[in-house]
Amino acid sequence: MTDNDGFRQGPGGFGPGPDTELTLQQLVLESTDIKAFLTELAVLASSRLSVPGNTIHSGVTVLRHKRPEAVAASDAAASALDELQNGFGEGPCLTALRNGHTILVPDLAAETRWEPYIRTAMHHGVSSILAVPLDLAGEAEAVLNLYSGCSNGFSAEDTATAESFAGQAASSLRLILRITQLSEARNDMSVAMQSRTVIDMAVGAIMAENRCNRDTAFGILTRASNTRNVKLREVAATVITSISGEEKITAHFDD
Amino acid sequence: MNADWTGGPDQLVEADGQRRTAARRFRDASVPLIELWTYYYGLGGDVDEMSLDAYLNEALRLPAAQVGLITTAMNEFFGVDPE
Repeated sequence: MTDNDGFRQGPGGFGPGPDTELTLQQLVLESTDIKAFLTELAVLASSRLSVPGNTIHSGVTVLRHKRPEAVAASDAAASALDELQNGFGEGPCLTALRNGHTILVPDLAAETRWEPYIRTAMHHGVSSILAVPLDLAGEAEAVLNLYSGCSNGFSAEDTATAESFAGQAASSLRLILRITQLSEARNDMSVAMQSRTVIDMAVGAIMAENRCNRDTAFGILTRASNTRNVKLREVAATVITSISGEEKITAHFDD
Repeated sequence: MNADWTGGPDQLVEADGQRRTAARRFRDASVPLIELWTYYYGLGGDVDEMSLDAYLNEALRLPAAQVGLITTAMNEFFGVDPE
């Protein structure tokens, strides 16, 4: 962040218009996973807010299992700053994340809160920070972190546009979260169906061979799995192979 | 599906202890219930997601065979319990 000659040229035009909405929609459709989507989001935020003389670096931090994780950034500088803050466990972005309110630090040199982090960030050439939480309606928690090398690098107008951008981004993020969760659940289910088919078949074979009931057959299979430290479905597959020589049992289910 | 408790008070105490351990492991793993249930179902488990939820909140007793499968599901999904 060396381009801080303090010159602002024109407004940092990234309006909330239909253009942004369309771009975000495109991102949802084209992203392969959440990380890729967030990276594109950070790049988009950075390019829309940067003006000659004031480059904005952008990162996204999400709460996962109650711990903050820097998942995506427009560039290495922003990623390093996010990581640093998570390392300290406190900073403007984490406060914004926890409280759900935008936090603007116009001049790091004059800031008295989050002392260790602020000092380190200044060493990295940061002069102002804008942190905008993404409201995901309880599905997850995320914050958009914006860093500028200029003091007062974010005008009131920038803050407003960043907030409206974050609002639109949040809707897209909720959508992609839901899509990802559904497709993960579907994949897990289809793996479970395959596994259950193999195990049920082996249990049936054990019942026939030992003239026992289903619970007893499960018990035999489980004991074999425990003593050999092999997964239940692998033991089941071995049982089937030993009887019929079939290596691969596949179950077909309509998706 | 509820357990048929004809085994006497000793078995009941033992089963409840086992259930408490399962509940603790589930809490510690902080894995969504649906993921554990799907895995358990894949092992041949019979009870539905709501019953598993109740069991893991120590509000329902399950037959020993299902308890065994829940333990196996946890061992394979979370890793074997160190305790």
